Amino acid sequence: MNDFTYPIPRRTFIRRAAVLAGSGALASMLPYRVYAADKVTLVNSIRSLSNPYHATWNQGGQAFANAIGADYVTLVTEGDSEKGIADIRAVLAKTGGNLVLNVDPNDSPDARPIVEACVKAGAYVVTQWNKPADLHPWDFNPYYVAHISFDGVRYGEETANALIKAIGGSGGIVALGGILSNTPAIERKAGLQKALDANPNVKLLDLQVANWKSSEAFNIVGSWLTRFGDQMKGIWAANDDMGTGALEALRAENLAGKIPITGIDGIKLAVEAVRAGEFAATVSWDPYWQGSMGLAIPYAAKTGKFESVKEPKSHREFYGTGSLVTKENADEFYKTHIESAPKIDFDDLWGRVTGQIRE
Amino acid sequence: MDPEVGRQSSNSGVSTPALREPERAKLRPRSLRRLRPFAPFVALVVLSLLVGALNPRFFEFNNVVRIANSAAIPLVLALGETFVIILGSVDLSVEGVLAVGAVVISLLVRNDSNANALGWTGAALAIAICAGIGCLSGLIHVQLRIPSFMATLGIWFVGVGMATLALGGSTVRVLDTNIRSLALTRLLEFPLAVWVALSALGLAWVFERFTRIGRYVYAIGGGEDLAVLSGIPVKRVKVVIFTLAGALYGLAGLLSAAQLGMGNALIGSGRLFFTITAVVVGGSALTGGEGGVLNTFIGVLIIAVLANGMVLLGISPYVQQAVQGLLIIVAVALSIDRARLKIVK
Repeated sequence: MNDFTYPIPRRTFIRRAAVLAGSGALASMLPYRVYAADKVTLVNSIRSLSNPYHATWNQGGQAFANAIGADYVTLVTEGDSEKGIADIRAVLAKTGGNLVLNVDPNDSPDARPIVEACVKAGAYVVTQWNKPADLHPWDFNPYYVAHISFDGVRYGEETANALIKAIGGSGGIVALGGILSNTPAIERKAGLQKALDANPNVKLLDLQVANWKSSEAFNIVGSWLTRFGDQMKGIWAANDDMGTGALEALRAENLAGKIPITGIDGIKLAVEAVRAGEFAATVSWDPYWQGSMGLAIPYAAKTGKFESVKEPKSHREFYGTGSLVTKENADEFYKTHIESAPKIDFDDLWGRVTGQIRE
Repeated sequence: MDPEVGRQSSNSGVSTPALREPERAKLRPRSLRRLRPFAPFVALVVLSLLVGALNPRFFEFNNVVRIANSAAIPLVLALGETFVIILGSVDLSVEGVLAVGAVVISLLVRNDSNANALGWTGAALAIAICAGIGCLSGLIHVQLRIPSFMATLGIWFVGVGMATLALGGSTVRVLDTNIRSLALTRLLEFPLAVWVALSALGLAWVFERFTRIGRYVYAIGGGEDLAVLSGIPVKRVKVVIFTLAGALYGLAGLLSAAQLGMGNALIGSGRLFFTITAVVVGGSALTGGEGGVLNTFIGVLIIAVLANGMVLLGISPYVQQAVQGLLIIVAVALSIDRARLKIVK
């Protein structure tokens, strides 16, 4: 093995440098897709495409882009805040700020640098789900158009009420919570508590954390069956993945359908379970709407359809509408939202506003 | 010979600064040293008795079945990981390969997304694909000389990416009753998945004890340069072991798809931590050359009993993670032979 280094002859060095410079020049002359300074780019930034919720979100965005004939870009954070912010900065630079951004920030603090970068570049932005409490769209007129969230407390309570109704108004229930520090987990749990406070005949036997995962929920429900046996009348889950894991654990013990379960998210498996009587209820956020209207709203602001400054606060920071799916409407919901892409009226900007986000 | 030595051998508590480390080790009571390899088993028994004393329902037969059911998939994963760890390497691709296995199976057998209905052939094909991915990990590690940590980390993300690509992010439901029977049908009260895992354990034990490659794995883990000099085909053994690990992860993917009745890219999410923990808690050293599949079996049971116990005892979710971490430290501290370890990284 030769360990010594030998000096490169000068001519060889010059020749190699020339080849490198030449190929660099050649590469830069090749035509590649430049983001046109005149055509608007629509950008959706989400956590990942590996889950059905965001995959549907992405489809919604693509549909809106097709409808207006604009370029469409999907950015994926993969749970990495730094990557999320860096990707957005990169696309702002590439398009010269001629873009409209719909972002589901990986974590609340990320919203601030993202909004500031967009404002600086003159791009119109809508944030969803996560933002710091002191960051408001009306402080960044006109570029920070709106923040959309869904009332976790309200829907945690609605599904809890559906579960209580399914068990006949009294008995013991158990709850599967999401990652403890996540805002949706905290809000939905608060909603569950409200429902319990209003129904003194229903007792919460235990709350365990399954971290939004079906495999963890599966194991926890198995242990619960040992601990509580017949006392356990219903299972409340903070999301559908955990709910379906719980359902399979029951199925392994021939209890599927005998102990009602509720979830939140409205994924296909959950809606099918509601139809089959195994789930009592689920809630759909309609990610298709989130992915498409989250772009339509800032696009309307950019094209001058409305001025952000003139809109009331309830149009700047608002709760969207979730649909509670129960046995009564499951069949219809399945047809309109799961089997086919939902029909969204892209011109109806404020149709799903249910109220301003609580201070 | 030092006249003090004779007196010391009957009273191990007194320190003897005059003696060197290896000689001091010999003076510890023989009985304690003999127990060391059994420390994980003792930990398991103590843990079980503790939980059972506080909640007697722990000992109910149905609960034993549930613990076995929750341990089946981790056991199969940990078996694959064990061989890689005994080699002295580490395999981080568990979640990715499991995802590929589960997704491929859910797309090949009768499902709600396409018209395929390949049944057991589909399952075998999926496991073969996962074995292929394991082989790829091994080849990247061995031929390109990339540390196993890096190579398998890359394969992990490639696996999840492939699974995402195949399904477009959505979830596919498994409708094939034969596949689902692995989780839903019971033999002697235990689900078939448990028997599959136990068979895998048996075959792995035979592989470890009675085959040449099994012996080679320990030789390579104990001292790779010596193994090379002794004429052991180190590269070939490594690739075979990674392939075997891939096949086992694929089998775990089949069991996951059967258990949850679906396949998606994130089905393996979170499994890596418990897999490696189970191997280490069972007594296999991360440095290689030590341990075995029976150790891993005990390790998996410890983790499963712990998870079940914490729910039975109603331990607050806020505290559970801390409890798990603490018990892992205690279990590993009890089982490593500190006298023999001169360098700890």
